[in-house]
Amino acid sequence: MPSHSLPIHSLACCLAAALCAWLPSAPAWARTSAPSFAGVIQEVQPKIVKIFGAGGFRGLEAYQSGFLISAEGHILTAYSYVLDSDVIAVTLDDGRRFDATLLGADPRMELALLKIDARGLPHFDLAQAATAETGSRVLAFSNLFGVATGDEPASVQHGTVAVKSRLEARRGVYETPYTGPAYILDAMTNNPGAPGGALTDRQGRLLGMLGKELRNSLNNTWLNYAIPVEEMTSTVAQIREGKFIPSSAGDDQSPPEQPLNSHLLGLALVPDVLERTPPFIDAVHEGSPAAAAGLRPDDLVLFVNDRLVQSCKTLVIELGQIDRADKIKLTVIRGGQELIDVELAAPDEIQ
Amino acid sequence: MPLSKIRNLFVFSLLVSLPAGVLSAQDDIELAEERAIKAAVEHVAGSVVSIETVGGLERSGQVLFGTGPTTGLIVSDDGYVVSSAFNFAQKPTSILVSLADGTRLPAQLVATDHSRMLVLLKVAAGEPLPVPEAAPAAQMMVGQWSIAVGRTFEGSQPNLSVGIVSALERIWGKALQTDAKISPANYGGPLVDIRGRVLGVLVPLSPTESGEVAGVEWYDSGIGFAIPLEHLNAVLPRLKAGDLKPGLLGISMSGRDVYSDPAVIAACRPNSPAYEAGLKSGDRIVSVEGRPIERQAQLLYEINRRYAGDTVALTVQRGDEQFERPVKLVDHLEPYQRAFLGILAVRSTHLAEPAAAEPPATEPRAADQPAAEPAGVQVRYVYPESPAAKAGLQAGDVISSFNEKPLGGRDELAEALAALKVAQQVPLAIRRGDETLSLEVELAAEPETVPDELPAPAGPAPAAEPEPADAEEAMPQRGVIALKVPEFQNDCLVYVPESYRTSASHGLVVWLHPAGGSKDDELVARWQGHCERLGLILIAPKAADPARWRREDIDFIKKAIDQLRQSHAIDPLRVAAVGQQMGGSLAYVLAFAHRDLVRGVAALDAPLGGSPPDNDPVYRLTFYVTKSGSMQAQLIDAAVKLLRDRKYAVVVPAAAQQAAALSDAELAPLLRWLDSLDRL
Repeated sequence: MPSHSLPIHSLACCLAAALCAWLPSAPAWARTSAPSFAGVIQEVQPKIVKIFGAGGFRGLEAYQSGFLISAEGHILTAYSYVLDSDVIAVTLDDGRRFDATLLGADPRMELALLKIDARGLPHFDLAQAATAETGSRVLAFSNLFGVATGDEPASVQHGTVAVKSRLEARRGVYETPYTGPAYILDAMTNNPGAPGGALTDRQGRLLGMLGKELRNSLNNTWLNYAIPVEEMTSTVAQIREGKFIPSSAGDDQSPPEQPLNSHLLGLALVPDVLERTPPFIDAVHEGSPAAAAGLRPDDLVLFVNDRLVQSCKTLVIELGQIDRADKIKLTVIRGGQELIDVELAAPDEIQ
Repeated sequence: MPLSKIRNLFVFSLLVSLPAGVLSAQDDIELAEERAIKAAVEHVAGSVVSIETVGGLERSGQVLFGTGPTTGLIVSDDGYVVSSAFNFAQKPTSILVSLADGTRLPAQLVATDHSRMLVLLKVAAGEPLPVPEAAPAAQMMVGQWSIAVGRTFEGSQPNLSVGIVSALERIWGKALQTDAKISPANYGGPLVDIRGRVLGVLVPLSPTESGEVAGVEWYDSGIGFAIPLEHLNAVLPRLKAGDLKPGLLGISMSGRDVYSDPAVIAACRPNSPAYEAGLKSGDRIVSVEGRPIERQAQLLYEINRRYAGDTVALTVQRGDEQFERPVKLVDHLEPYQRAFLGILAVRSTHLAEPAAAEPPATEPRAADQPAAEPAGVQVRYVYPESPAAKAGLQAGDVISSFNEKPLGGRDELAEALAALKVAQQVPLAIRRGDETLSLEVELAAEPETVPDELPAPAGPAPAAEPEPADAEEAMPQRGVIALKVPEFQNDCLVYVPESYRTSASHGLVVWLHPAGGSKDDELVARWQGHCERLGLILIAPKAADPARWRREDIDFIKKAIDQLRQSHAIDPLRVAAVGQQMGGSLAYVLAFAHRDLVRGVAALDAPLGGSPPDNDPVYRLTFYVTKSGSMQAQLIDAAVKLLRDRKYAVVVPAAAQQAAALSDAELAPLLRWLDSLDRL
């Protein structure tokens, strides 16, 4: 889904929203002229819940976070082993405890919907959710590390949207089934117990749900991220209406039945002897598609269909994802200086 | 410009909010900040490029290299791009730079700044590239906004992290510090001010370690570093011409606290810039380029941020005299090789005072010999074929003067030798019976063999010393002692020979056990007789987890030894770490971490992790390395080569048959090596 830009450039719009949000309740902070974040946080805190379930051994926490999305007690949270329990206990901001029912979950979105039996609860309206862009100030609410042990509210962190980026940027980069856009955060939200927490903008409008602990295998750093609301709304609506059908696992990106390989193209690569052997072409067979495309020995393959291949291993994997009936684009570097694009396909008789 | 926009916006928001009387001024500031931050990133974004690499290594030590894109910053419109050396630590085969508009260009690595851990790349750009504006260094202030910008996520859009400037002039004046989150997601990218002007280029750095991956363990910690762009622009012509390396002076300093001790030279590395400039041990550096130096840290600050090839004016105090010398720093020092005379000295019976709570500040220190001590060094043993043997020195001779200076004792001779070079001619005077002779020796390198036979160490016969009346109280404990160190769970066995006397010099053997630990009674049975005969104390600390040594155990071992030194007299020249397999690997670590303490490492069938530090005139260190026919043999050979490259003397006895336990035949040369640690 394309991200649409927030009309934040219009100041009047922001102020109007802020006034609407704050005037009716005329909270105490306004009279004591406390910083505006404090007021926003007071508005948001009652919508955050703490969730207790399975876990509590081998370093697995038995708690996580969630937030209310209806006055009747619908709670959006992260789908995890914590919910795999006969009793899912939910503690509200005011200390009241409820047993929750799991209405449904989408393992691919890593979200779950819970329901508690209550009325008139403060909540986020998914339909009124906001979006943010790189540089937007944000607030993150979660029961990180389970530090909110008693009746007190969850913890608040502030930060900035570092970038909005898809998590599936490269195959196998992130060990998560969720592959859509995410807010990457300039804030340390990646903590035990934080999954399912809420990300809001400066005005307390819901932006997204804090994700599970995740490592970015591109650079081996921990990733702080949240799944945007707009990615979740239709799934949540389907679960609420009881119409949600979880998609079966593995129905995406299954390798083609007739995968391509370098021999079919007439390419021989250098022997793969290193951890990251650079994918140099060792030989081009005469009369092959590679020869016809003008590829030469000592060309270094850089991209397959615009996806970077950093080693012989990744080149083999990338080709294996392509059906041999499809045309492919290869980008090679020749003599260390010249980038050359070629298109080629396996010969017809093989197809 | 963003600022004018912000100002308009501020006025406008006041107009709207005042009638309502609800919105605080704080809110306006926050909105203005948010917009200014976005504008700052936009301002610099055109100069921030994404870098992809092909091929290269998978990891360096514990650090696993990522495969993801990294960041660079354009520094000249004709195609020069800087980045962090960390991003190229994997030594890639091919480098691609993606400009802000998505254009991909092949890049060549031009040079590396090994002092500030930057690399310079060159791309062939068709159009002039956008060069960022540098923030003037004079205007940088702690507390000002700093925004880290990278280009490492999907779609080649910039990613940011917001913080403030935490400090200027960090890492010996090389970098500024920020609390924005600095990580592989933005290493190589710019740190910009609120106007989008570049403060510096983000790099991982460590105050103590060097190398491409040093400091990366601090990623996202709120402690990040950037090299000022103004500095980079100034050295760009030099960097275009080739690598820049840290400048080295070639001195070791006396004392161990760089923050309080004055910059007094303990030794100059032969052939180093300091040596060539005529600096000597005992000289005090009092100013650099006119800036006064009161403490060693100030000297390090002046030297460490300079490059090889830079010339600095040093003002030196020697006695009452003060003089200035220009010194040209170099990128490489000849490894120091210890000069060897070829004798073992009769050990003084006056080394005996237990160490004070703090070990001596300098070492080897000038021995404060009592007046009664006959001046000179008595020879216990002359190494065959050594300079001493060639000059005709004999056991029993007393060296009364060395290199034209009267000699007080063994430690003075050690100190004098540390300032001399191999192959140097040295005059010495000896007493032989009633005769006085003058000899000339040509110093040699230390031998890499142990003598086949050594005379028993001379010392007072135990009976010669009268037992104090209240012997029980006055004598430190002897025999087997279970040593405990406060706040540590580790156990530690100590064996003090029954022949121990406070007036005699004792060596210390630190036994570091292999995996699984070693049995106390077997250990004592093994070493007891040798400890008695050679005047050795055995200390055998145990790992908290017998299966493996951890870094914390090193603190324990150090404290245990310090504690033992307070109660027992230990000869500082004869402290050896002896370990088998993983214990041997730890012996290396212990010796390199505490160079002021350990004088010998015996690594039995144990590889060396990492790279050894340079040999040093002040800190004597020598090695004894054995290998069994195990899988480790290649690694051990590599370790020996590394040590010898740094001119350490390494004894490698003939291959052992059996690694599980030391046979008597294997122990014998090790004991002779232990008994000759104080060779001169």
